Amino acid sequence: MKKFLAMVLALTLALTMVGSCALAEDVTLKVWVGDNADIEWINGVIDAYKAAHPDNNYTIDVNIVSEGDCKSTVLADPEAAADVFTFADDQFNDLYAAGALQQVMIDADEIVAANGGADATVVLAASKDGELYAYPATASNGYFMFYNKEYFTEEDVQSLDKMMEIAAAAGKKVGFPVSNGWYLYSFFQGAGLEMHINEDGITNSCNWNATDTAITGVQVAEAILAICANPGFTNADSDPFVTGVKDGSIIAGVSGTWNANVAAEAWGENYAACKLPTYTVAGQQVQMGSFAGFKLVGVNPFSENVGEAMMFAEFMTNYENQMGRFEIRAEGPSNVEAASSEIVKSAPAIAALAAQAAYADVQRVADNYWANAETLGKILVNGNADGTDLQTLLDNAVTGITAAPIQ
Amino acid sequence: MSKTVRLIIRHVVLAFLAIFWLIPILWLVLCSFGIDKGPNISSFFPKAYTLQHYVDLLTADSSSVSQFPQWFMNTFIIAVFTCIISSIFVLMVAYAMSCMRFKMRKPLMNAAIIMNLFPGFLSMIAVYFIMKNIGLTDNKVGMIIVYSAGSGLGYLIAKGFFDTISKSLREAAYLEGANEFTVFYKIIVPLSKPIIVYTVINSFLAPWMDFVFASIMLSSNANKTVAMGLFAMVDKVNRNNYFAQFCAGGVLVSIPISVLFFIMQKFYVEGITGGSVKG
Repeated sequence: MKKFLAMVLALTLALTMVGSCALAEDVTLKVWVGDNADIEWINGVIDAYKAAHPDNNYTIDVNIVSEGDCKSTVLADPEAAADVFTFADDQFNDLYAAGALQQVMIDADEIVAANGGADATVVLAASKDGELYAYPATASNGYFMFYNKEYFTEEDVQSLDKMMEIAAAAGKKVGFPVSNGWYLYSFFQGAGLEMHINEDGITNSCNWNATDTAITGVQVAEAILAICANPGFTNADSDPFVTGVKDGSIIAGVSGTWNANVAAEAWGENYAACKLPTYTVAGQQVQMGSFAGFKLVGVNPFSENVGEAMMFAEFMTNYENQMGRFEIRAEGPSNVEAASSEIVKSAPAIAALAAQAAYADVQRVADNYWANAETLGKILVNGNADGTDLQTLLDNAVTGITAAPIQ
Repeated sequence: MSKTVRLIIRHVVLAFLAIFWLIPILWLVLCSFGIDKGPNISSFFPKAYTLQHYVDLLTADSSSVSQFPQWFMNTFIIAVFTCIISSIFVLMVAYAMSCMRFKMRKPLMNAAIIMNLFPGFLSMIAVYFIMKNIGLTDNKVGMIIVYSAGSGLGYLIAKGFFDTISKSLREAAYLEGANEFTVFYKIIVPLSKPIIVYTVINSFLAPWMDFVFASIMLSSNANKTVAMGLFAMVDKVNRNNYFAQFCAGGVLVSIPISVLFFIMQKFYVEGITGGSVKG
């Protein structure tokens, strides 16, 4: 039924568009991008779009609304929001729940195929119940491992133990933000434990305290405690990481593309990046998981020109424009063809993200996760100074993470 | 002996508090002159000093996150007009409450004081939708209206000052045939310079430092204020490149306030204490 409705709507839209193409129309679109530095790129896209549709008179206004903060601006007043806006994929659920995302009804199948098919992480991140609600734009918002080739070989960076051993021997550190929930997830997810949002969209389900899994929660917590106590390890979120890289005390660390320039400048030719390493838990080597991060382009259902907005959003995220965005802004493309091109593969950070993608999950998390995971992370970083029983510690964390939000 | 000890203790406590209060400001100034583009958390003092961040901030091209001159002008325009309009409102309301007698005077005064006790942003959403219906969101005029419309409620201190001006002065003017406006303009205003200074400074500061209303009402780049712009410079993606410029912006923002304060300083102390002699 839903499919049928969508098709009827798509048809009507297509028809209206055919109608509108016949007589030159004035079309006004508002577009939001995340950063002043995107302006050059989006202006190029707009010029190309106008050239590709010479029949209509387009007025396309560009404005800047931070991608990380797009949700709050859109939801403050969806009617006043842009027709086409860019947002980070963690806001998808809230935008969808508020009815602020227009379902993709033109070329949905082509877009899904171009981004790696219905099972690709980025497509899942932009879909709800198998229907596409946003246009995948970039795939470089996740995290991965930076390292300095002066100290590590490609062999070494496969295992966190080896990395910490080398760092300790050199009197340096490997950084990882254990006390940040976004990164802490890596350990538990890698060990096969689960934490994700429930169907209701407001609570999480989490089995980090499980005792009946192949690797138990307590074993993961013990592994994290051991890592945090290692002399070659430091808990380093973004600012300490940047400082450590600059002053040379950190020679490898987990962070995202936003810190790539810092590492590239500090390490010069020795700058390298790779997927997250394996770590030791319960006597075995386990690949660390991660949250994948994407930027998506949404179309506002309140738009006066929904059809045109969809066409523009599709154009803005097609192969050529994702390549353009990579060249101008060094943002990794989500488009499979673009991602597999030689020039994209040769960027270390983007290649590292692509390698990590196989172990990365879509970030679908309810709010109660963050503070509770942070608390758990901090306790583990401090070596569980109170000596709390680890099972109790995890039980408490899980209770907090899965709790219903206070209304 | 005990007097000296008490004096020492007193000064140690004060010095201690002063350090806590001044260190963040000192750090901000140091960061703005430091060589690091991003936050420098490895040492308190920067390794080298430069003026480059100020240059970058003031001469940024259109692709930079920082559009400081534009933001500064926007904020300045809004603040100056708000300052003029709301100062006039405050002084007029204070005059009416202090010098005129009418039936609803007491209830109005009480209502105004109670309404002024609520934080302004409680009405934010309502204000936003009202302004949207009039078509004044994302508009400097809209911002000026939002900031100055309710400012008359803050009349209390000015009223206290006007109360101290002798009634016989006004009566003499009435006998000469002056109306209320002439009395206000020719008698009260020239005698009230200190409180006018206080009102002007306060009316300028409110829009100059506001973030909450600006971030709700303004959306386009052309209208961004300094507070909104600076906020965007320290998000995850930008901070490594813009943190020092953010600090430089913070230092520059304080300049107009300081200038205004220095110009009006000699009246200021008299202003806030003048009304307390006779309530």
